[in-house]
Amino acid sequence: MEWTDVDTWIVTAGVLTAVACSIPGVFLLLNRQSMLGDAISHAVLPGLAIAFFLSGSRDLVPLLSGAILAGIATTLLSEAIRQTGRVEPGAALGVVFTTLFAAGLVLVRLVADEVHLDPACVLYGSLELAVLDGNPVPPIVWRMAALMAMNLFLALLFGKELQSVAFDERHATACGLPTKRLRLGLTMATAVTAVLAFESVGSILTIAMLIVPAATAFLFCRSVPGMLLVASLVATAGALAGHLLAIGPLPGLFRILIPSVGGSAWNSAGVMAATTGLIFFGTLFGAALIRYGNRPLGRKNRDRNQPVSTDSSAD
Amino acid sequence: MKGILNFLVIAVCAVSTMVAQPLEVVATTGMVADLVQRVGGERIIVRPMIAPGLDPHLYKPTRDDVARLLKAKAVFSNGLGLEGRMEDALRKLSLRGTPVVSLGEAIPADKLLRDETAPDPHVWMSPSTWALALPAVAEALGRIDPAGLDVFQRNSRQAAGEFVDLEERMKSRAEAIPANQRMLVTSHDAFGYFGRATGIEVVGIQGVNTEAEAGVADMNRIVDLMVARRVPAIFFESTLTEKNVRAVIEGCESRGHKVRVGGVLYADSLGAPGSGAETWQGMLEHNMATIEKGLGTQK
Repeated sequence: MEWTDVDTWIVTAGVLTAVACSIPGVFLLLNRQSMLGDAISHAVLPGLAIAFFLSGSRDLVPLLSGAILAGIATTLLSEAIRQTGRVEPGAALGVVFTTLFAAGLVLVRLVADEVHLDPACVLYGSLELAVLDGNPVPPIVWRMAALMAMNLFLALLFGKELQSVAFDERHATACGLPTKRLRLGLTMATAVTAVLAFESVGSILTIAMLIVPAATAFLFCRSVPGMLLVASLVATAGALAGHLLAIGPLPGLFRILIPSVGGSAWNSAGVMAATTGLIFFGTLFGAALIRYGNRPLGRKNRDRNQPVSTDSSAD
Repeated sequence: MKGILNFLVIAVCAVSTMVAQPLEVVATTGMVADLVQRVGGERIIVRPMIAPGLDPHLYKPTRDDVARLLKAKAVFSNGLGLEGRMEDALRKLSLRGTPVVSLGEAIPADKLLRDETAPDPHVWMSPSTWALALPAVAEALGRIDPAGLDVFQRNSRQAAGEFVDLEERMKSRAEAIPANQRMLVTSHDAFGYFGRATGIEVVGIQGVNTEAEAGVADMNRIVDLMVARRVPAIFFESTLTEKNVRAVIEGCESRGHKVRVGGVLYADSLGAPGSGAETWQGMLEHNMATIEKGLGTQK
């Protein structure tokens, strides 16, 4: 399998998106809001329909604005429900996004039944086609680089505060932090990230990268900066290895196993997401093995280790 | 001396065969590839992009497709919205300088069927309509291989004659079907041009584009129609789910009208190798024979 321009830009855009998503992903995970990206991918539908109705066009800019506003509406509504304190946070999110999605289905039927309004134009962006925009650098590479820079900047600026909110919200409030606004800011940044990434690389890769790298990092990191670093590395590795698998070994294997299927390259975003998932399972398994290997053999043994290891409680 | 001469002759031959290497072009659907290959003959190699059995309305190019598109000397598409998710890519490709020829758009607009919003893209279903795209293909191939222009135009004229003959044969076969049963009900509106060519009335459960799902009202309308006309058979399409067709059959049965499955028609894609429908002509002949068998016999 030869390496071409197509591959260069698929990998560049894939890695940038992966890292851009993994940053808010870390804070979402610590806030127990990992599924926000998935919720937004459904909740954008009414935004698309209303944007289409108001602008009367299928241009990307109004549709994208509508989608981002719908994403922000999802976060505002679910935050509001959560803060009544009467509903479990996951349920609050679930109620909001399913309602918005259903409303979206009805709206699309109402305002855009005749016209061909394809949610796919916003949800299933295509990495493979990015190279066609290239002159020579495809605009989605710039867009994803800007998104990554924005998220990094926000993480550096508010990382400490978000960390306090995530670990002990009451304590953070008592310390005078604007807890509500911080949480809202995080979810709004996620909405913007998710929608822009959906349009460029598709919803599967976006949702996976919002969750899986952070979850992998959480397995063995004990600090937020460490999690950010490891999550970014996992995201990068998943995107890179995923594309390599998608163009070479996987279709090759299928050519051998099922010759009639042929062996065209697989969908890169899909394999990137799956590979990142594999990295997570590999880490989980590896961590279990290490724990098993390091397990204290007896009381005496552990006592001897006590002064050296400060972290044995994690075992 | 003679050795050197021999060597030169061989070298010249080698160079000339290198120059006469067939040029590679890409076609989106199997039907488009078939037509371009007829015109191009041995001077052109056509690589179809959408494999048999895949739905061109929903197809998205893979990484390999994109690599091949970037290398192709020219790209031929059906156009008119058939390759809904590739139009953007094809437009960008032509902006980059690759000639992109849409066969549907080469056909004069007054020969196209249209509903309120858009033309019907299933133009290959009528050979005489499909033949109208031949000159544009010959011309486009002539631009990338000027030495072959005469060959392309000769092939194109020959093919046009054959296409018109094929349509005549289809028409006379259709006329043998009893008049009240000359109604073709299929999964989606792909047979408009076929109907115009053969005089068979056609009804699709889904609209022209397979992305729009059929509603209950559409289903009921079709059940009413089939019951009223006592239409004996309904047909599947190779690229689409059987669910809607099954629903119509059940609907008819509940009203006391027994409908049988006429068989599988190839609408938006050629058949797999060995199916007899792996060429464009084979596809049309297969469809015609299946429809004859399904509708032909008097009840």
